[in-house]
Amino acid sequence: MDKDELDKSIVLCRACDLAVRKRALPTGVRALCPRCHTNLYDTPYCSINGMLALCLTALFLYFPANFYPVLELHFLGSVRTTTIIEGAMSVADQGYWIVGIAVLTAAVIAPGLLIASVLAQILIVKYQLNNPFFRDIYKRLLRYHGLLSQLTMLEIYMISIFVSVFQLSDYTDLYFGIGTFCFSVLFVMVIFLQREYDIEHMWSVLDEQ
Amino acid sequence: MNSKKAAVQGQSLGLTCCQTCQNLCPSTDECCNRCGQRIAARDVTSLQKSWALLITAAILLFPANLYPITIMTSQGQVRRDTIFSGINHLIQLDLLPIAIILFTASILVPMLKIVGLGIYLMAISYELPISKKKLMAGFHIIEWIGRWSMLDLFVISITAALVNMGQLLDAKPAPAATAFALVILLTQLAAKVLDTRLLWDRLESKDDRN
Repeated sequence: MDKDELDKSIVLCRACDLAVRKRALPTGVRALCPRCHTNLYDTPYCSINGMLALCLTALFLYFPANFYPVLELHFLGSVRTTTIIEGAMSVADQGYWIVGIAVLTAAVIAPGLLIASVLAQILIVKYQLNNPFFRDIYKRLLRYHGLLSQLTMLEIYMISIFVSVFQLSDYTDLYFGIGTFCFSVLFVMVIFLQREYDIEHMWSVLDEQ
Repeated sequence: MNSKKAAVQGQSLGLTCCQTCQNLCPSTDECCNRCGQRIAARDVTSLQKSWALLITAAILLFPANLYPITIMTSQGQVRRDTIFSGINHLIQLDLLPIAIILFTASILVPMLKIVGLGIYLMAISYELPISKKKLMAGFHIIEWIGRWSMLDLFVISITAALVNMGQLLDAKPAPAATAFALVILLTQLAAKVLDTRLLWDRLESKDDRN
């Protein structure tokens, strides 16, 4: 009755609780809250198959990006390499385990979980949405998506690699490895994946059934 | 719905936006009917939590800036750098762009974040007459830029892992690193737990236009 009618036409701003009447948007346009300019909704270009492709590519790149060194240092004939995980561990070994955990979470764990979570969501939407067990898992994944997305800081790590290169190039020679390449491509894939992904669209899939 | 004529809030309509999935729910419900998470018209306790986190972060900002954050050994000479002296050193080495990036990420952003959130929380707690639009714009900027402080920690972890050649050339993190990591974590949490809808309720009666 009354409630059903409201459900379709009104959207509440999550930041200031303003009631805004929903309107159809042309593609590529976002609706902002007229009062506080928070993003209300946009026209999702949320293609499941496109995301699946990005997701699989990201998954394949995830392992070489994490197991091959991202930077190589040559100093008086000796070579030092580091992967992201080794970087986190070396800080943790010095007793700064909070820093180590922060680095590990933001650059390794969160991106991995994000990719796995989106992949699982896509597979559930494609094949298993009517199964109550998978429906429950799907809801759980959607709930944590915002958090994972926020914790993923690949773009910041990318910049950090360049900053370190400039800082250290004063003392020694630095080289990029295959890991750097894989990491850069992984970063691009995840950026596009996050652009393509629309949480509201993923939630609305549940309503359609 | 024109915002200038009448700003109708969900609360007066008896509706609540689920903070997890942004589904529209009747305020009388306990849980969202789509995602099953608990819903609340307003989370008043979030203001206290946010204050607590912010004050802790502000205290930790001192050790983060006063203690050395890296210990660099170069040919037997040991240098302990705080965040600021490290940036100073970069300027002396003519690496101005890098210095600017690091200055923004590790000094400017944390300070602005703490001051900005402080003003924001005070505006809610003490109903300060500050334009809500400006406050909210500031809040969005804080939310977005806050994570970039992680840059410094990433750089430290990369350097510490690569540069370990004993007396010749060696880089190690120092105590301020932990304090700095906690400052980032706590300020991000303070912004995240806060229910921003509180701001728009409190000042509504005083100046409608802002």
